Amino acid sequence: MEFDFSAVITYFPTLLKGVGVAALVALAVALMSVLGGLVVAVISIYTNKVVSAPLRFFIWLFMTTPLLLQLYFLYFGLGEWILIPAVVVGILGLGFHYMAYNADIFITTIKSVSGGQYEASRSLGFGHWRTILYIIVPQAFIRSIPQLGNNMILMVKDTSVLSAIGVAELVYASQYAISVSFRPFEFFIVIAAMYYVINIVMELGQAWLERQTSYRH
Amino acid sequence: MDFDLMVEVTPLLIRAAWVTIDISSRAIFFGFFVACGLVFLQTLRFAPIRWFARGYVSIVRGTPYFVQLLLVFYGGPSIGLRLDPVTCGVVVGAFNIGAYMSEAIRGSIESVDNGQTEAARSLGFGRAQTMFYIVLPQAASLMIRSVGVLAIVLIKNSSLVSIISVVELTYQAQRLIGSTYKPLEIFTLSALMYIVIIYAVMGIIELAYRRATRYTTQ
Amino acid sequence: MSTEQQTATPMVEVRNVHKRFGNLEVLKGINLTVDRGKIISIIGPSGSGKSTLLRSVNNLEVIDDGVILLDGVQVNRPDMKGMAFERHINHIRQNMGMVFQHFNLFPHMSTIDNVTLAPRKLKGMDKKAARELGMEQLERVGLAEKADVFPNWLSGGQKQRVAIARALAMKPKVMLFDEATSALDPELVEEVNQVMRSLADEHMTMLIVTHEMSFARDVSDWALFMDGGVVVEESAPDKLFSNPDQERTRNFLQKHLENNK
Ligand SMILES: Nc1ncnc2c1ncn2[C@@H]1O[C@H](COP(=O)(O)OP(=O)(O)O)[C@@H](O)[C@H]1O
Ligand SMILES: [Mg+2]
Repeated sequence: MEFDFSAVITYFPTLLKGVGVAALVALAVALMSVLGGLVVAVISIYTNKVVSAPLRFFIWLFMTTPLLLQLYFLYFGLGEWILIPAVVVGILGLGFHYMAYNADIFITTIKSVSGGQYEASRSLGFGHWRTILYIIVPQAFIRSIPQLGNNMILMVKDTSVLSAIGVAELVYASQYAISVSFRPFEFFIVIAAMYYVINIVMELGQAWLERQTSYRH
Repeated sequence: MDFDLMVEVTPLLIRAAWVTIDISSRAIFFGFFVACGLVFLQTLRFAPIRWFARGYVSIVRGTPYFVQLLLVFYGGPSIGLRLDPVTCGVVVGAFNIGAYMSEAIRGSIESVDNGQTEAARSLGFGRAQTMFYIVLPQAASLMIRSVGVLAIVLIKNSSLVSIISVVELTYQAQRLIGSTYKPLEIFTLSALMYIVIIYAVMGIIELAYRRATRYTTQ
Repeated sequence: MSTEQQTATPMVEVRNVHKRFGNLEVLKGINLTVDRGKIISIIGPSGSGKSTLLRSVNNLEVIDDGVILLDGVQVNRPDMKGMAFERHINHIRQNMGMVFQHFNLFPHMSTIDNVTLAPRKLKGMDKKAARELGMEQLERVGLAEKADVFPNWLSGGQKQRVAIARALAMKPKVMLFDEATSALDPELVEEVNQVMRSLADEHMTMLIVTHEMSFARDVSDWALFMDGGVVVEESAPDKLFSNPDQERTRNFLQKHLENNK
């Protein structure tokens, strides 16, 4: 067995482009899943059953079925009606998936903050929704950061799965290069290494973020 | 909803669900031994072996399962590792969950109060006896829950072996969606099957947990 | 060996023991002798090194300097390494009973199994004989009827009595008590003290670290006051508790009295 990384070097710009796509997708998914998760959590806690029950059902459904199955459903389901680019389907699919996981976290933290803080704030004269938005949600958000961070680290690794529906991230971007160079081992080692580096950077970032926010608890 | 179609494809999906169960259970079974091996290596005196085990765990946790699968399946042959798709799914699954499980096992062993070890040692028990009679039985209850969570993650991740054309549940679902153009029906059925599998596993975990913690509730 | 010689060998001997944690010297040359059938109490402020001393006797802490002997056999063996030392210390520990502040009962085993595990596994006793022995020990601490109950269902006082029974089941030459009643609610202290008194009546050799001054005074043959890693003063208990020579001992007892008003 001999290793030859020259093809990897030749196609390195392609790989970098794949990293770029993955990064943009991850960013969009992060925004969508965190903000969406927060909204879903607030609505499912503070509204009546008619609204909250379906939301909780979807949270549960997204958490108990595999991401890839959800992606296929969305890809073919949406594809039936409209023609949309794979990358949009990828962002939506990954976005909904992690929205559910994030909402699950927010529901727990909002409830734990809600306890004494709600009464305290109402007694100061804040209204119901103002209390929720200005007092409870910000505190719950800060408390959620460690777990949100975990989810986002998992999410970045899951962007690799989007290649299955044709999103041109790292794995997908290298497919052509692999098929012409016959060097799958070298390519996948390099791809794994890239993910590993990104993962370590994210873990360091998460640790830093936790230090920055921990004094507020 | 097209119920006739749903009835028609159910047997196909059930057969595929068995493959999912088969691959997952084998990966979990072998993964447990991988995990025990990793835990053991990390207790050894010889530092480079400990570094190797920690490095392995860190790399497996820090890279996507999907890329690991592709690396072994497509890249394996160039280092003389030729595996059929199902075996590949089991092997990669086992070595992946093994890394996570080793952390869970280590964590549960470390969470047993040090006073337990001291009490056993003060009676004259050796290290291995203390581990075997005192620490492990108590760590087991914690281990069951955290390993259970990992098992469920692995079952969901097993869907990724569809990419290397193992005809498991997600592969079959995707193929049927493509051929019938009925995504909702197929999704509903296959989702239901994942849910049944996962809830069955959760039930088993809960039973095992109760058994292991009988002493706290009697 | 004649009886006289036997009585001449102390059960526990601690000679010039030093122990450091990093830069902190916790034991600064401790000397201590416990004769056969005698009871010695150690008192002193928190952090003075009492637990460390007791744990060192059991080798749960490894001392940096000095010698510890159990019935004439050296406990600490800086010359021994690895498995050889393991075998040595496991054997030594079978002859010492240790009772911890937080009981450390094995929660996954019934009371009787807690008591019989060591005799069964370490002395190869068969199940039936072990159960007999275990019941005997549980009766000794007044808990025979709790034999098949799990520790979580016992009160703190009962747990500590089971822990004592567990240690006694190995027929130890000496019992070490590290604040056996400190973690207990006040109303549960007496039942444990009662058990310890009954051991005293049977002439069990005991080394007791305690905050129970009146109990220590009652039960012990000799008392030590430790502070800052040294034995400040030692004497017969009546003298130490009512008329100590040292200023530091007086201050400690004074403070202790005030705190327990
Ligand atoms: N494992 C340890 N590591 C570092 N310092 C310790 C350790 N155990 C005890 N100490 C320190 O040694 C001193 C004596 O502790 P200890 O023997 O527990 O005192 P006592 O039992 O008299 O309250 C204390 O200052 C304590 O903080
Ligand atoms: Mg102490």
